[in-house]
Amino acid sequence: MPTISIFKDDLESLLDSRRAGAVSIDQIEEWLMLVKGELKGHNAETGELRVELQDSNRPDLWCCEGIARQIRIKQQGRLRAYPFLSKQSKPTQRVIVGAGMERVRPYVAACTAKGYRVTKEGLAQLIQTQEKLADIFGHKRKTVSIGIYQLQKIAFPVTYELVKPDEARFTPLGMETVMTLSEILMVHPKGLEHGRILAGHSRLPILRDAKRQPLSFPPIINSREIGEVRVGDDELFVEVTGTDLAMVVLTLNIFAVNLADRGAMIEPVAVQYPHKTPLGRQVLTPQDLGKPRSIRIETIERALGQALGGKTVTQALKTYGYDVSAAKSTVKAKLPPYRQDLMHEMDVVEDVAMSCGYGSFAPEMPAQFTVGGLSRIEQTSDRARELMVGLGFQEIISNILGSPESYSTAMRLDGTGWGKMVEVDNAMAVTFSALRQWMLPSLLRVEAASNRAFYPHRLFEAGDVAIPDTAHELGSRTDTVLGAVLAHATAHFSEIHSCLDVLFYHLGQEYSLEPVQHPSFLEGRAGHIIVAGKPVGVIGEVHPEVLERWQIGVPVVSFDVNLSQLTDRA
Amino acid sequence: MDTTSSFDNLHPLEIKVLTAFGAGPSGTVLTTEQLAATTALEPSQLSMAIEWLLAKQLLVVQSETITPVASLTPLGETYFEQSSPIERILSAARDASGTGKRLTIPDLHTKEGLDPADVSKAVGRLKKEGALLIVQGGCLESTGRPSPSTEAMRAILQQLHEAPCEVEQFPEPSRQLIQEHAVRRGSAKEPFRVEDRVARWYVLSPEGTVAVNQVTSQATVDEVSQLSPELLKDGSWRRKRFRKYTISLRAPRVGIGKKHPYREFLDTVKTKLVSMGFKEMRGSLVETEFWNMDALFMPQFHPARDIHDVYFVKDPTHAAKIAEPFVSRVTKAHENGGATGSTGWRYAFDGERAKRLVLRSQGTAVSARTLAAAPEAPGKYFSIARCFRYDQVDATHATDFFQVEGIVLGEDINFRTLLGLLNLFAREVAQAKEVKFLPAYFPFTEPSVEMHVRHPRLGWMELGGAGLFRREVTLPLGVTVPVIAWGLGLDRMAMVALGIHDIRELFTDSLELIRTTRGIF
Repeated sequence: MPTISIFKDDLESLLDSRRAGAVSIDQIEEWLMLVKGELKGHNAETGELRVELQDSNRPDLWCCEGIARQIRIKQQGRLRAYPFLSKQSKPTQRVIVGAGMERVRPYVAACTAKGYRVTKEGLAQLIQTQEKLADIFGHKRKTVSIGIYQLQKIAFPVTYELVKPDEARFTPLGMETVMTLSEILMVHPKGLEHGRILAGHSRLPILRDAKRQPLSFPPIINSREIGEVRVGDDELFVEVTGTDLAMVVLTLNIFAVNLADRGAMIEPVAVQYPHKTPLGRQVLTPQDLGKPRSIRIETIERALGQALGGKTVTQALKTYGYDVSAAKSTVKAKLPPYRQDLMHEMDVVEDVAMSCGYGSFAPEMPAQFTVGGLSRIEQTSDRARELMVGLGFQEIISNILGSPESYSTAMRLDGTGWGKMVEVDNAMAVTFSALRQWMLPSLLRVEAASNRAFYPHRLFEAGDVAIPDTAHELGSRTDTVLGAVLAHATAHFSEIHSCLDVLFYHLGQEYSLEPVQHPSFLEGRAGHIIVAGKPVGVIGEVHPEVLERWQIGVPVVSFDVNLSQLTDRA
Repeated sequence: MDTTSSFDNLHPLEIKVLTAFGAGPSGTVLTTEQLAATTALEPSQLSMAIEWLLAKQLLVVQSETITPVASLTPLGETYFEQSSPIERILSAARDASGTGKRLTIPDLHTKEGLDPADVSKAVGRLKKEGALLIVQGGCLESTGRPSPSTEAMRAILQQLHEAPCEVEQFPEPSRQLIQEHAVRRGSAKEPFRVEDRVARWYVLSPEGTVAVNQVTSQATVDEVSQLSPELLKDGSWRRKRFRKYTISLRAPRVGIGKKHPYREFLDTVKTKLVSMGFKEMRGSLVETEFWNMDALFMPQFHPARDIHDVYFVKDPTHAAKIAEPFVSRVTKAHENGGATGSTGWRYAFDGERAKRLVLRSQGTAVSARTLAAAPEAPGKYFSIARCFRYDQVDATHATDFFQVEGIVLGEDINFRTLLGLLNLFAREVAQAKEVKFLPAYFPFTEPSVEMHVRHPRLGWMELGGAGLFRREVTLPLGVTVPVIAWGLGLDRMAMVALGIHDIRELFTDSLELIRTTRGIF
């Protein structure tokens, strides 16, 4: 979900230059529904708009040109023609791919753009689009990266080939001195950031022109001499390299239509591979890779719950940019060249709904009858909670993710079976690095922080814990546990025992207590709660050393009951 | 003012004090000490009763005097037990003269361990009195003459050790000595404390006199404060008078048992969902990436599956296996669409990755499990599931939180019934009459909707997201009917209902806060 910055004037002039300055923010917000965009901020002084684009499969929308295009199609009724995409267009320039590229970064696509003088806003968008596409769509440049150059400095044909790291040198953007490729990887910030993409390769990719001048070291950095575009430049060379040919071509298509929308003449480039690619040995780029797909109109109508008819469907798709034709009961729909996100018929269904506007579909209640209800464990838990409230206990609620220190160490459980818990491998902080395996520490957390709240303290929590269990498919069980504590100057085993007794009576459970040596409790004052011969919990007077660790100054007695085990038995 | 009723309200302590006046002739003036002696009340009880009577204007202060009273501080007691700095210096100087040793001021600091400030003060005084000389080399020499202040100091320590005493009782030089060595702001380490003792003389007001007459005339009626089983048993309550209470006083606090306000809020949501025909689903805190993400058609290269977005389990790292036929079908759905009618994501699905154990990051994982377990159709399901996100904790982000999510299955499920269901949620859960539906994006639904509602108290807010599950999700899990997936974002509503501004307070450790937070749902 990228958030981008665009300028209101720029958007307006891309929509319809005559209306510059006349569009309200409300209108823009409404238009943004067409692109799943949300206005996050608006600076009335500079005209800057911060827009969040939700659809991670629509990289064409992550720029001002793309947003304007989607709105414009709706206004003008169809997508404008892009003649450079027709199969007949003749490339004037070539890029030659060298041997061995398929093992490093196989694909490249390129085009030239002439006759558009780069403006300040245009340049800002070019840079932003380049960054967002390479970063998010191109997985931090791994699958796709983009370079833009001053065309008149380049002698064609351009070669895309492998060199030894010390064989080629140039002055990279952001540096003053000539560096070899290995120096760039070791010293340049972009080399340090993205170098791992090329890790393990003894020879590295380079783009050079016919005079052996380096254009760039993909996907790391451009040459400062050729690869720095400035305001006022009016002849550009755009290239995209990467590991997935379809993604590489799509990215170039997006740049080509963006520049064309700003008034540039796009000329395709022929890319010659020494080996076969999914698109042949010679690949003309940009290229429309979309294939028409037949969809039954009935499928769309059933999914939307509304009879629309072929005409409405066709119109909706056309005004959303599709190339579409209708037969009797089907539509033949092809995505525009800057999109590749049609995986399933339902993707087309959504575009029909968005084009028509969600507001044009009347909500209708699902009519079929269903019976509601709570799970058995939730019913048990609710019953236990009611009883605890009746016993005068205040319910609390805690994080489940906490620290091994509080769940085990402070409870004197390290190295015991009771101290085992599910721990996190990539913890951000040790305070959030383990799932609780029982409830008492959650209750002590509140007790420790509440010595100024008037006594007695009677606390309980019913909630989930994760208990390590090698027999379980997930390595742990999630059980619902009820924990309770009593804390005051004369808190005593028999007091909490009475509470447990009345709780179990009303839960309809026969139980007995068996003495247990549990490190969290005083010896001789702790017991397993036994139901049908198996322990389902523990009760006792909390060990003074535990209280000291938690810095609790009054006696605490407690019980923990595994409600899941209790429910399974019932 | 109705005086009778106010007299009836008199507390036994007040009556005791009033009676003390009643015993003497009218216009009797009594001091606090005299009242203490007559009533035999504890000082705290007496002062309480006097305060009450003054407030009711039954008693007035006729006059008051303020007397400074000196007493010993803990340091003063130490001086009394051992000796004061001035005494120690004088005796050290005399010892030195006797033995011919040299005694310097630094010696007093190091050997006697005396505070430099105390030393210079005492030496100055002893020199002025002629008891001490400072000779060449800064040596102190005793002159053998007596020091009146040293003797006065001992006398004061002695007297104050026995009992605190009015400063006026001491002769003038001693008074000065006391003032010089009294604790005050800036010099806390002193042997004496001088405090003002306030002595008051009380007299009855005219209303007080009426009250005393009333009290003494009623003295024959037996007054009780508490009805008891004995009084009921023998019927003697009929002959008793029950003291009337001042019921306008603040009630003492009482600790009660109650549900946590946030759980209470979630309980109301739960009840509403059940009443709308939803069955509850439960899931596991630990899940495989398969059920948490793969089954939801989130490609394994999806940015939200990054190491920085999900918590991975340390041990064991992987589940032994994932149940078939789900793995094979989901693998195909990802790679080429399989039998779902999709092109898939076109990448090589990593079966090992699918087994990686994570902390459940979205409630939709619970829905995925339900879809795979032959759910009812038509059917409605919900879960209120604890989920974990790899987020820096702050006022709006928590590492673990509740997600309210669910699914609706049925032949009649389509985009319009999806909107109808969301309308129902808006009305039932948020009491909202106005609803807006916006296009949205979720990896597992198509079409997807975001619902904004106008909440009666919050104004326009995002209530939740929903959509029709992609066929790439439902078909591999064995579900052939259309399915709605929905989720409600209720934390903001809960926070407003509970009057809190920081999401961390939902799980607060402050018992006082939990006891006093009141939910308005």
